[in-house]
Amino acid sequence: MIEKLAGFTLDRRTFVKAGGIAALSQVAAPFIITARGETAFKIGVDEPLTGTYAAPGKNEVLGCQIAVDELNAKNGILGRKIEMLTEDSTSGDAGTAVQKARKLIERDNVNLLVGNVNSALSQAMAQVSNEKGVMHIVPGGHTDPITGTDCKWNVFRVCNTTRMEANAVCSLLFKTYGKKWHFITPDYAFGHTLFQGCEADLKKLGGTVTGNELTPLGTTDFSAYLIKARAANPDVLVVLVQGNDMVNCLKQISQFGIDKQIHVAGTQQELEAVEAMPPQARVGVWMFEWYWKQAPGTPGLDAFIATVRKRTGGKVPTARHWFGYVTVHSYALACEKAKSTEGKTVAKALGGLELPPEVKLQPNKVYFREGDHQLMLSAFVGELLQKGDGDPENLFKVNSIVSGDSIAPTVEETGCKMQMPS
Amino acid sequence: MLELIFFNVTNGLIVGAFYALMAIGLSLILNLSGVINFAHGGFLVIGGYLAYVLTPYIGFWGALIVSPLLTAMIGIAVEWLLIRRLYGRDPLYGLLLTFGLAFIIEDGTRQIWGANGLPVSVPAALMSSLSSRFFFITGYRMFMVATVAIVVALLFVLLRYTRVGVRIRAGTLDLETVAALGVNVRALRSFNFAVGIFLAGLAGVLAGGQLGLEPTMGDGLLMPSFIAIIVGGVGSLTGTLVGGLLIGVAAGLTAVVFPSASDAVMYVIMAIVLLVRPRGLFGEEGMLA
Repeated sequence: MIEKLAGFTLDRRTFVKAGGIAALSQVAAPFIITARGETAFKIGVDEPLTGTYAAPGKNEVLGCQIAVDELNAKNGILGRKIEMLTEDSTSGDAGTAVQKARKLIERDNVNLLVGNVNSALSQAMAQVSNEKGVMHIVPGGHTDPITGTDCKWNVFRVCNTTRMEANAVCSLLFKTYGKKWHFITPDYAFGHTLFQGCEADLKKLGGTVTGNELTPLGTTDFSAYLIKARAANPDVLVVLVQGNDMVNCLKQISQFGIDKQIHVAGTQQELEAVEAMPPQARVGVWMFEWYWKQAPGTPGLDAFIATVRKRTGGKVPTARHWFGYVTVHSYALACEKAKSTEGKTVAKALGGLELPPEVKLQPNKVYFREGDHQLMLSAFVGELLQKGDGDPENLFKVNSIVSGDSIAPTVEETGCKMQMPS
Repeated sequence: MLELIFFNVTNGLIVGAFYALMAIGLSLILNLSGVINFAHGGFLVIGGYLAYVLTPYIGFWGALIVSPLLTAMIGIAVEWLLIRRLYGRDPLYGLLLTFGLAFIIEDGTRQIWGANGLPVSVPAALMSSLSSRFFFITGYRMFMVATVAIVVALLFVLLRYTRVGVRIRAGTLDLETVAALGVNVRALRSFNFAVGIFLAGLAGVLAGGQLGLEPTMGDGLLMPSFIAIIVGGVGSLTGTLVGGLLIGVAAGLTAVVFPSASDAVMYVIMAIVLLVRPRGLFGEEGMLA
């Protein structure tokens, strides 16, 4: 074996293979060169396309692509065509996400960096984009510090902060279900800040935490945690895990019949997860960050749904599609407003920018707060439906659409001290 | 507290039985072919998704049998086309090949069925808890344990009392002598590989019913299976079974006192076993050396 590895002889097969590769590279090269138009405006998307967060990651990428196509069909950005470059950040490897971000910035010279679904990866990417002075929009990483204690002049966020999510539902859960809460929390940045937000709200309301089960990301079997949670006998079991972990957790809750004895609820819920659950697991009060079935007559909504359906083989848009869509459109709007694509000028224009109806796709006022670069988007609070109402994908009943302003902590409370470059 | 511990031991045994099913398939292939099959989790995913496709036509019970058989056939094709070429080489080759294969299967599944998870419906009779006190013992979990028990028993009968089974066991100990005695070692390895993949496919159908389907579902189940083999002892199927149950119970018990260490405890057990008894609990000295 060792001899075989050590000895190398150039035989006919090796020669033919090498020739084949050389021939292939001749054909492939021109495509790569033509794809990099010299004058195109470049958006670098660094999102999870594999692993636990592949579903939300791909949906955010599609949302970005739809916005890019819409803009390119008109005038691009300030008359320049937009080119979108997509990289797989992986679902949890910060090293890869950072390496891809560097590649997009240093080699591809992107004007805007987009990413990530994962909070920890978003934070790591923000370090790089800030160091390089490149505009960066985080479409779907929720942990507070991104637009709080770690806020940066070049970093903007579309999705809610974890504190906003907690504020959107906590008082409702307290009033409807009771004051003793037990938590199932994912053991990483997102989960920690979300739990802290809920705990602070609950204490303010006069309730108690009976326990907090910290579960590793990617947990498949929740039974040991559920046994503990039920033994604590709370009024509400608050599920904060996300993605597949949420699917597994709620599935086991319903199999064990825990939802018959304890109220089950949570903060953030997503259509991607709900669709992966069996009907009996779809229980409880939650908030969606954007939902497709809203008040009829919302400008632009029907067209957006139709576009996404066309691109996904009939599936409706989720909040993740909308995050991606808003990311690209709001950046383009800021460039148009600033009449420039220079990072600092665009950042100034994006702070305070209000989204027009055909981009915000919801009733309340939606804008980027100037002080912390956080988008003030509405929370869609309601209940899960076991079976689709009117459409197989209408699995959530929206009871109220709460404006972002009313649930967000003030800029001072977030701890953000924004320092814009001179 | 005592009740909590009892609950978690029982629960750990249920989870461990599932690890054992995965690990035994992995162990069979490792023992006879010397291939560390990193794609075992991938075959589990194939089994699960095939069951999802078949269930509307032949029902859950039909899919439970047909899907693992189809997965085993895919396994035979893979063995024939790829794995076979690596027999007798450094195990690193097999490891690299199956590692790549695992990625291909994961991405292929994502291409065909989408990145989003899919729900799997199991018969309603199995869905509820057996009693409100022992709420975590559902019909489906009992069914999983029973299936594992039956399959493991059948496998032991196969290995002990049938000609092919005896040959597999003999081949595990000394393949050259078995070959010298005129046994078709190629066919034996193919059959053995197929049995291992059948078990992965079956685990996939069972896991689909319990957890739903998702292209990365095999990843989380693969490492505990490797640990079960190492703890139980390479070369011993009884050891693998015990190893699976042991780490299931240990993870369950740790979750009571120190939840964030419930994954790490498996590795701690592995480290202790490797330090104190490197051959594993039931392993024979010198296996795969």
